[in-house]
Amino acid sequence: MTDLVVAPLLVALFTAVATLPLRSARRVQQAVSVAGGVVYLVAVAALVRAVKADGDGYLVYELSNWDAPFGITLVADDLSVLMLGLTAVVSLAALVFSVRGIPAVGQRLSYHPLYHLMVVGVTGSFLTGDIFNLFVWFEVMLMSSYVLVVFYSGPDETRAALHYAFLNLLGSAVMLLSIGGLYATTGTLNMADMAEYLAAAPASQTTPVLGLSAMLFAVFALKAGIVPFQFWVPDAYRAAPAPVAAMLAGVVKKVGIYAIVRLYFTVFAVATLPPGPFGDNATFLAFFGPVFLLMAIGSIVVGGLGAVGREDLDGLLAYSSIGQVGFIVLPLAVAASAVPAAGTAIPGDGIVTLGITAALVYSVNHGLAKSLLFFVSGALSRTLGTVRFDALGGVSERNPALAGSFFIGALALIGIPPLSGFFGKFLVFDVGARAGSWVVLGVALLGAILTIAYFTLAWARGFWGPPSDAVAGAHVDRSFVLVAAVLAVAIVVLGVGFGPLYDLSYEAARSATETQGYVDAVLGGSQ
Amino acid sequence: MRGDLKTIKRASLRSHGVQPEPAVLFAVLALPFVGAALTPLVYRVLGERTAYFAAAVATACLALVLTQYGTHGTVSVEWIPQLGVNLVLYMDGLAFLVALLASGVGVLVFTYSGGYMHGEPGQDKYYTTLLVFMGAMLGVALAADLVALFVFWELTSVSSFLLIGHYQREASSIYASRKSMLITVAGGLFMLVGFLFLHDVTGSFALFDSGASQGIITNAEMVREELSAQGLLLPVVALVALGAATKSAQVPFHIWLPNAMEAPTPVSAFLHSATMVKAGVYLVGRFRPLFVPEEVYIAEVWTPLLVGLGLLTMTVAAMLAVSATDIKELLAYSTASHLGLIVAGFGFAVSYGGEAGAFHILNHASFKAALFLVAGIVAHEAGTRDIGSLSGLRDDLPITAAIATVACLSMAGIPPFNGFFSKELLFEAAWETGAHFGGLWYLVPAVAVFGSVFTFLYSIKFLSLFYGDRPDGLGEVHSPPLAMVAPAAVLGLAVVVISLVPNLAIEYVAGLAYEGVAPGDAHSFTVPWPIPTEVTPYALMSLVTIVLGAALFPFYDRLHGAIGRARRFPYTSPNAYYDGGLAALERASGFVPAYVQTRMFRTYAASTLLAVCALALGGYLVAGTPIPPFGGLDSLTLLGVVGGIPLLVILLVALFGAAAVGIADSHVAGVLTLSILGFMVAIFYVLASAPDLALTQLVIETLVLLIFLLVLDKLPTWYGDLEVREAIPDAIVAGVVGVTVTLTVLVTTSAQPSQNIASFFVENAPIPGEHDPVLIDAGGGGNIVNVILVDFRAFDTLGEITVVAMAALAVLTLVGMRNRGEDV
Repeated sequence: MTDLVVAPLLVALFTAVATLPLRSARRVQQAVSVAGGVVYLVAVAALVRAVKADGDGYLVYELSNWDAPFGITLVADDLSVLMLGLTAVVSLAALVFSVRGIPAVGQRLSYHPLYHLMVVGVTGSFLTGDIFNLFVWFEVMLMSSYVLVVFYSGPDETRAALHYAFLNLLGSAVMLLSIGGLYATTGTLNMADMAEYLAAAPASQTTPVLGLSAMLFAVFALKAGIVPFQFWVPDAYRAAPAPVAAMLAGVVKKVGIYAIVRLYFTVFAVATLPPGPFGDNATFLAFFGPVFLLMAIGSIVVGGLGAVGREDLDGLLAYSSIGQVGFIVLPLAVAASAVPAAGTAIPGDGIVTLGITAALVYSVNHGLAKSLLFFVSGALSRTLGTVRFDALGGVSERNPALAGSFFIGALALIGIPPLSGFFGKFLVFDVGARAGSWVVLGVALLGAILTIAYFTLAWARGFWGPPSDAVAGAHVDRSFVLVAAVLAVAIVVLGVGFGPLYDLSYEAARSATETQGYVDAVLGGSQ
Repeated sequence: MRGDLKTIKRASLRSHGVQPEPAVLFAVLALPFVGAALTPLVYRVLGERTAYFAAAVATACLALVLTQYGTHGTVSVEWIPQLGVNLVLYMDGLAFLVALLASGVGVLVFTYSGGYMHGEPGQDKYYTTLLVFMGAMLGVALAADLVALFVFWELTSVSSFLLIGHYQREASSIYASRKSMLITVAGGLFMLVGFLFLHDVTGSFALFDSGASQGIITNAEMVREELSAQGLLLPVVALVALGAATKSAQVPFHIWLPNAMEAPTPVSAFLHSATMVKAGVYLVGRFRPLFVPEEVYIAEVWTPLLVGLGLLTMTVAAMLAVSATDIKELLAYSTASHLGLIVAGFGFAVSYGGEAGAFHILNHASFKAALFLVAGIVAHEAGTRDIGSLSGLRDDLPITAAIATVACLSMAGIPPFNGFFSKELLFEAAWETGAHFGGLWYLVPAVAVFGSVFTFLYSIKFLSLFYGDRPDGLGEVHSPPLAMVAPAAVLGLAVVVISLVPNLAIEYVAGLAYEGVAPGDAHSFTVPWPIPTEVTPYALMSLVTIVLGAALFPFYDRLHGAIGRARRFPYTSPNAYYDGGLAALERASGFVPAYVQTRMFRTYAASTLLAVCALALGGYLVAGTPIPPFGGLDSLTLLGVVGGIPLLVILLVALFGAAAVGIADSHVAGVLTLSILGFMVAIFYVLASAPDLALTQLVIETLVLLIFLLVLDKLPTWYGDLEVREAIPDAIVAGVVGVTVTLTVLVTTSAQPSQNIASFFVENAPIPGEHDPVLIDAGGGGNIVNVILVDFRAFDTLGEITVVAMAALAVLTLVGMRNRGEDV
């Protein structure tokens, strides 16, 4: 059963390798690539079932059979399978889109192997239980995304990719430094082992860990594009081919969020701060709460404000991603500040669990909705050659299905019921209200109003108004419309039947906060 | 206080009500959505006659609603049990009234659309959206769970957005729809926050007891006390009121309503007069028993806030209506004004207020929807909506003129038309409240009269379109089709019937709705028909209103001009704030690329690095991380590094190399000095007994040097002159980064964890003395690093190999894509 843990990663890796030599047979290459996406989805579904069927909800796979904490461990739990599920869905949609959405020459050249290697990196990051191994999968994910961002190789793409690569290389250096530091101070790389050590060690021995984990947090914030680490986002998303932008915004960003939830709420939450500004017996998260809050506010403001004045759809969506990730971090900030004193179990009905649940629900919705919007933008750009608003207009007249899908995606991000996005917003507001925090509520309201402002603008300028000549004469490929429509339906279904998504997110949040369960599952074998 | 004649005591329906039929209520809700889903198909078959399909759906809903007359209670199905959210539907007199309006006016509006929308574009979309709207509105009326209510509430806003933007090529429609969306959806979000506070305090989303959930309104007193105790009474009332005010176009959020007239006229009649805008006042009515205790003259927070809001809106919007130049604009402001009246009515804690609100919901829907349909007929047949160029239409449109006459007199508040009676009740409430507190409180009835004078004025103005001389400029006026006249006539007839037997309308409809808005056991009420026979202060107020209105009407044009001029007074128009706010937002948006996303890597890197340092240093500081003393170079020997003079020399040369990179004035010099640094690091590895690392480093340094030299040709030779004032900030950033990294190395190298996985590797990497033919439990290699790479942590290596492979693919891609032809 535990072998299943490694299956999604292997599927993606094999697909990547298999598509590499198929360059001369375009159709076969595409078929293999899409089939790889389907098999990946099946593998993830099987893994989800296995995790849900497991009594403890943890499946642990030890590579080369070296016991934790010495070898590398893969851990599938409710949190990681939720993220994998999102990945599998968005990735398959992006693959189908790519078949017609990426120039044939590019597909033949390297697109499919690179794409699947990006999925490998993402999958590895979600599954690994080893902090250095996380670094490796980050590198895999980043290396492929560097190439995919620069894919069209024009001047804009080159600059965007340079900035993206350089900033992330800085990030890699910082990550290496902090992981090295963590290894030196805790003597281990295994996350569960580290958590156990931090919980047991006296505060005086673990003091450097707070600074190191703060430094490491910067790296995850960089991946997630949280202010002030958002610089690469707008240009990279604009430069990347639409399905890649959909993956970057929908999934790769969430790797940063996942890492924050996994490492900070599962691992670092158990470490105690020495008595200081946060009182006695506070955990590390007491320090991170205000940090998260400031960064969430910055993201919501910069992203929302930036999106309003954009002249093209891609730019608007890219800035929107900065703002939306702020909405994901906001409930995490409340949750972090609410974590009880070290050594106390985190209650399931408390604000910590609720905050993480909210962030996860929001992440899933953003993953689906934002990738949907990038697909629509990509469909337009592939058909019309541009997504500048002054060249668009009247798309809803010419292509109601595509426009309708965009509308649903936009409404989901605004938070209109009964779409999945409504419950994301709902839970974020609920977290703010329960915490009695007017700051959180005020920022969330401001962000929501900005979201309405820029999406109504996008709709008014791109989809209403008289059809431009380009739009009037355009024929949008059916596969694009299909991909967008399927995601739109998913957003409606997940909203109207919100219960299951809530359960999945809630269980994931529980899993993230039950450090002891995680430690027992991973280290149980070696004791 | 309460005249005997006016009141008959009646047993409350609450105790005697028949339970509503669950299947019927859910069918009422589901029908419009099913109809909407079918509409695109139906449209293919029926074409423009889809209007009658939609009307049939509405009729079915109406019939189902009517079967539930007199029932009272909740029905509920689970929706999201995890969150305690259920789809609870509640039927009482108030819900019945609003559902009646939604489905009843729906029937008329769909029928009317069959004539009005003839030859218009996008009809499939139009009917689909309108049906969705009707479903959502029925949902608002029936939902008794805060979340479910909010769902339908926002759905009405979204459908309104799409319907206002029906003429989607017109800039004015787009402007109007965006404005309505921004204002109503944003207001809705504030309301949601209010709902969440309510939920937080009560632990329930249900408004009324239903199954296991405790109803919020059922336990009003407890909830009120708890809210007060937590200091949340004002926030919750304000947030809920904000939602209602944006939806019901209360000042200063009324500005979206006149623009919303860009929608086709049936939409204006349906959404922006009879139903959607009533959602706000309905909500106020629904929550009234929660916030208004029994037997008081003023409800804390509630009365001042809502009476203030309502009277302000009633007056300001009535004045704006006088300044209108377009008949639909006039009706839009008038709608806002009358909604203000209802809000004020519900705001009063005295029972007359609730009576006024409940009765006026019915009356306003009858006369205002009729007038909108009349306006649509006029615009459609006369080809203009300009008040100045319309007059004397009675000969061209006799039936329409009759309808307009009845409706306008009702709107003006002239007895014995129905609008008079509900306004009279409001005066009563205003007077009772004013007289009870005295002093400045007398302003309340005064303002009510003042606003009503303007209502009288614009009502008579609208009426005058049909009388007087027919201007020469007015072209031929066609006869309207039956599909358009009949619905208007039905509404006109409704006005007449309610006017003839107001007390029956109260007993069977409005009075039951009143029970929904009144705290505790409510009593029905009656009004004196046809005119008040006693001299009361409120009867006098009505008299004053009519006399003043009649006296001022000859000066209508001057008032019209004066208000128009006053509107241009700077800083007073909410519209200016809206437009200015949006413009400011777009300007502010320009700051983001100008100052944040500058596309200058230098800024990006500096900000990123400083943020990293701030986080790390902040962490060290908060945790009180002690800075270990630097043990000198000798401390390195503990780690197995050969110390002494050689080490010192190596490090000094490396330092020199690093400094030289900074001041190098050409690429070649820069690259060469950089490699000095690199090679010194390699030698350091040698001294640290790590020959494999040293070899790797040497290979990398050599390759980097070679590649650099190869591409130097392609780079611009000029580095540019560095100004000192530019260099200083860079130096500071570099310094901070250096300090952070140094500090990190110091604190981490001095840490002594009580465990270390390294010992496991040391023990298990070599070939053990005794072993099986196949090594399973040991690494089986002589070099620990190698064993780690290929065995203990082979998974890492797999990843890194992949990265190398991708680097090769990257080169392939860059070259291939740059040279791609038109082959796409």
